[in-house]
Formats: sequence, structure tokens, C-alpha cells
Amino acid sequence: MRNSVRAFALMALSVPVLIGLAGVAEAQDKFKLGMMVGGNTCCEWMKAQGDVARALAEKMGWDYVELSNNNDPATALKNAQIMVQEGVDAAIQFNGQPSTNPAISAVMKAANIPIVTYDIADPGMYFVGIDNLAAGIAGGEQLGKIMKEKWNCEPDLVISSEGAGAGIVNEWRTGGMRTGVKNICPDIPAEKYISFEGSGDAAVALPAARDLLAANPNAVKMAVVGINDGGVLGLINAAEQLGRADEVIGWGQDGAFITGDNVNPHLAGSVFYFLEGYAVYAIKDVIGPIAEGKEVALKADAGDPASKVQPCPVSAEQAKAVPDMPERVAQLLAAPAGTTEYDLFCLNK
Amino acid sequence: MSTDQAIDATPTATPLAVRFQGWGTAITLVAVWALLIAATGLYRPDFFAHQTVLAIAFTMSIVGVLAIGQGIIGISGGFIDLSQPACLILTSLIAVRLSEAGLPLPLVFVGAVLVGMVWGAFNATIVVLAKLNPVIVTLATNFIGLAALYLVFQLAQVPNGSEIYHMGRASFLGLPVIWWPMLVLIIIVGFLMRYTRYGRRITAVGGNRFAAQARGISLKKTRFATFMAAGGFVGFAAVLFASAAGPFNPSSASTMQLNVIAAVILAGISLAGGRGSFWMLLLSVGFLSTIPTSLVFFGLSSDTQSIFQGILLMIAVAIDGYRARRGTP
Repeated sequence: MRNSVRAFALMALSVPVLIGLAGVAEAQDKFKLGMMVGGNTCCEWMKAQGDVARALAEKMGWDYVELSNNNDPATALKNAQIMVQEGVDAAIQFNGQPSTNPAISAVMKAANIPIVTYDIADPGMYFVGIDNLAAGIAGGEQLGKIMKEKWNCEPDLVISSEGAGAGIVNEWRTGGMRTGVKNICPDIPAEKYISFEGSGDAAVALPAARDLLAANPNAVKMAVVGINDGGVLGLINAAEQLGRADEVIGWGQDGAFITGDNVNPHLAGSVFYFLEGYAVYAIKDVIGPIAEGKEVALKADAGDPASKVQPCPVSAEQAKAVPDMPERVAQLLAAPAGTTEYDLFCLNK
Repeated sequence: MSTDQAIDATPTATPLAVRFQGWGTAITLVAVWALLIAATGLYRPDFFAHQTVLAIAFTMSIVGVLAIGQGIIGISGGFIDLSQPACLILTSLIAVRLSEAGLPLPLVFVGAVLVGMVWGAFNATIVVLAKLNPVIVTLATNFIGLAALYLVFQLAQVPNGSEIYHMGRASFLGLPVIWWPMLVLIIIVGFLMRYTRYGRRITAVGGNRFAAQARGISLKKTRFATFMAAGGFVGFAAVLFASAAGPFNPSSASTMQLNVIAAVILAGISLAGGRGSFWMLLLSVGFLSTIPTSLVFFGLSSDTQSIFQGILLMIAVAIDGYRARRGTP
């Protein structure tokens, strides 16, 4: 009797132990993806990048860990160290303040964890992202075409709303837009190109934009380019306040303010990157093959990326046919694996 | 004669000096401002244009109303309210949501002001009841508020073509519509602070809280009411901000803080409490708002304005400290 009780107790105790061991073994077998989102509150797409990566990882049956870089380089580095402690098999990051990228790269390399970086290249990371220069040029050329048709390529000013904090990305996008304008309208004198710091934020850009317009009271035909839609809108709003909005045509970047029912009529167009859907590219070309045990050659250069995201310039009219971000994300996640938002929504392929 | 009546009837200790000092601050501010305008106009005659006036007046509008709230906190001895950015964004978001719901503009103002007062009451509850340093408390509530706002929204803007949208772009008598409420509020608050019992109580509490207490003034009630009123002014400024700013995010107001504090100090309102004239805010806010515009006319980048504003703030704080050491108002 006593032996039977012992045997029963042993069996009863062994069941949870076995279940636990099986769980641990399964968890150890499961591929784990780490995602470090940008964490800049300026932009909804930064949070959405994490949402899409999480949904795709769950579809793949992977474990998923997400941290926010809070738009802070030190936090980004700390997050990389946490990812190592978490034992992720691969990581993705968007680091809008990339000064710590070399350190992050070294941390991940020491732990033998491959890492994908979005949009801002680092020699130790797989580059997945937009060709920012191409996106800038594409937007600038579209604006140039409007200037040619409307003003015979004779604007009074071509105003750049810079976002110097973004470093090289600002040079690529904003400078690229100027290049695009010059491609269509090559004879605009250099002194007609002027800039102001808009920080990529319409509200922050507004006072500086008003001052710039006040200092150029005779400018009638003004074209506006910038690092993003917000920066361009800052100048358009300033022109509205000074009673000069009819003289302004803007073309933005990132598509943040070109969809929905609240589009400013002076924002003629923008360039979609469909930033929220970058995880499709990262998983299709880098993370997925690594999870399958394949070797993926490190392509860290923006000119020869591990996966290239296509820019999609759209006019305000065309943008009406593009759903807003939550709807785009819903359709993307419902589409067959590997389908990109460019495939689904770009009208100017 | 009641205690309140005694306070109301009590002349200030050095009325002539107060008046002289007030005029001295005003004359200095007018002189420096005029010099700046003249120098810019000499360099670029097109500075004297309606566009320049509009640009400066728009900049003044929101900073001016925020400075009233900051000034009330300062003059009452609360030093500084560092939670203005979070309160401004919170109440701007309220203004946007109420506008989206189709509420008429007066109700949008009422809603934003009430929420601002609730924010002020929250600050006051901690400062007054827990007897904590207001600078630390408002710094903390600013962090908490912004962090909470980050969770709630990323971007907000008033509906294009709505009543509030037009208010942020319209002019009246050649100046922005949103400039006029700032002017009226500064005049009214300046009057209330100088000539009413409540205003004198606030100043008395900031000047010498022991003496004020001895005269029967409730420090708790006065400080509580002061924080609530300051929050209400931030709520009012938020409607102006939401109407004019276009799309904004939780960090969009962070750059205003230094300007507001500099305006209060330059106006001669002591952050240590007890002295200052709110009417001077018109001059200090006008002067500070002219600086960035002048810099652009001189061909300097708008980035350089931060350098000038930083230097001015240091000078203003030094003057405030000098006045405090001399014991002059």
C-alpha cells in the first residue's frame, strides 16, 4: 500500500516536471525575434513598425520581444544589450539617432546575433530601407513638373524645410528633392533656393517659417520641399497665417499627411515609403532565411541593400485612393506572405 | 475693519519706488526693443512691413498667454511651473477632440480651460498638501503628463476648414485674431493683480508668506487657486495653439518653455514672488518675439535664435537675482 502511494506520488510529481521540460525544450527550439522600435512620438509609423513585426512573427510561430528606443541613442544601446540577455536569434531596429549604431553593432556581433537596421545604414547591420535619395529625387521631380506647368519653371523661391537632426537622411531626402526639382527645371538660379530649420515638425517649424516668409515679402510663387510632410506643412500653415497660401505649392516626404479627410489643399503630393510595413522586407529577405538556417550574406550598404524598399510618389489626388495606415496594415497582414504595401497600394509603379 | 480690508487698504511699502522701478523696466524694454527694430529696419527697410508685424504678433499670442500663467505662479512665490508643456498639449488635444465633435468655439475654450484648471489643481494638491517643492513637482508632472500623452496619441490637428482652424489664420484690424485675446487677458490680469483683493493676496503670499499668514490670508487656499488659475491660462493658450499650429505631437510645445520663462523674468516679475507688473509682459513678449524675426532679416539662421534667447535668459536671471539681493522691487 505504502509503495503504491509512493509510486502514485512520483507519477503525479513527474507530470508537471515533464510538461515543464517539454515547454523549455520547445521554447529553446523556437526562433526568437527582437524588435527595437524607434520610439519617436512624432510619427505613428514607428509604433506600427513594431505592430507589423509582431504580427508577422506570430504568423511565423516565432517568439517576439519588443523594446522602444525612445528616440534616444543611449536607450538604443541599452536595448541591444537587453536583447542579448533575452537570447534573441535575430533583431530588427529603427534607430533615428544613430550615433550608437557602431556600439550596437559590436554588441550584437559579439553575441553572434544578426541585426537588421531600417533606413539608416551601419557596416555591421543588414540594411533594409528606402533609397532616401531616390525618394527625394522622385518627389522633387513630381513637384518640378507642377512648377513647369504652372509657373514655366520660374518660381520666386524654392524653400527647403530641413530636419538637420536626421543627419544624412535629411541631406538625401531634402537635398534629393532639390535635385529632382533641378532635373525638371534646371535654370532656376541658386539664390532662389533657401532653407530653414523645421525639425520635421509642423508646429515647431511654424514660427521659423513665418519669419522666413516675412523676410521674403515679394516672393509670390513659392515651392516647398522638406524632410517630411510635417516640415512642409509648417511653411504652408505659416503662409496661410500671413495670407499668402495661394502662392505656395508643397510636396512632402513620408506620406504622413497626404491621406485621410484632413489633407491641406496646398500639399500637392508626397512620397510614400509605407514605413509601417518594412518588416515584410526584413523577414522575407533576411530574418526568414536565417530562421531556416540559411546563410545570408551581410549587405549593409544603402546602395546595395539586403532588401530595398521602393519609394512611391503620389499626388494628393492619387493619395485619396490609398487607405489610411490602420487599414493598410490590416490589408498587409491579410495578404499572402511576402506581399509588400508597394505591391498593394502604389499607383505609380 | 476686517483683515482683508486692512490688507486692501494697506499701501505698498515703497509705492514710489515700485512705480519708478516699473517705469524703469518699461523704459529699458521699450528702448532695447526699439533699438532692435531700428537696427533691423536700417539693415533691411522691408522689415517695416505688415508681414513682419503679423509674424511677430502670431508668435506673441501663445507665448503671451502662457506667460500670464507662469507669471501668476512666479509672483505668488511658486517659482516656476515646469509642467506647462504637458498641460498645453493635453488641453490642445482636448480642444482638437471637442472641435472634431463639432462643438462651437466658446465651448471648446470652456472645455480646454476647465481641463487646464484640473491640471493646475493636480499640481496644487501635491505642492500644497504634500508641501513639496513646486519646481520638482511640476517637473515631475510634466514628465508624467508627456509620457501619458505619448501613450494616448501621436499626432493631432484641428479639422481643416473648422471654426477653430479659421480662427488660427484670421486677422482683425490688421493683427491676428489670436493676438487680441492675449492683449485683453494681459490688460485684465494686470488690473486684477494690482487693484483687486485677490490679486494683492497673491502678491502678498509671494512677497512674505509669514506676514501674509499673520494677516489672515490662507496660504493653502491662495496657492491652490493660483495653480488652478495658471492651469486655466494654459488651457486658454492651448486653444490658440491648436488653432494655429497645424499638426502637433506631444513634444511640440517643449521649445516654448524657455521663451515663456524669459518673458516673465524680463517683465520684472520676480520668480521669488511678491513683485512685478503683468502689463510689462506685453513689452517682454513683444521684444522676445521680435528677436527671431530680426535674425532672419539679418540673414542668420533661425537656429541662432536659441543662442540669443539663452543669453537673454541668463541676463534676465542675473537682473532678477540682483534685484532680489538689493531688495528692490
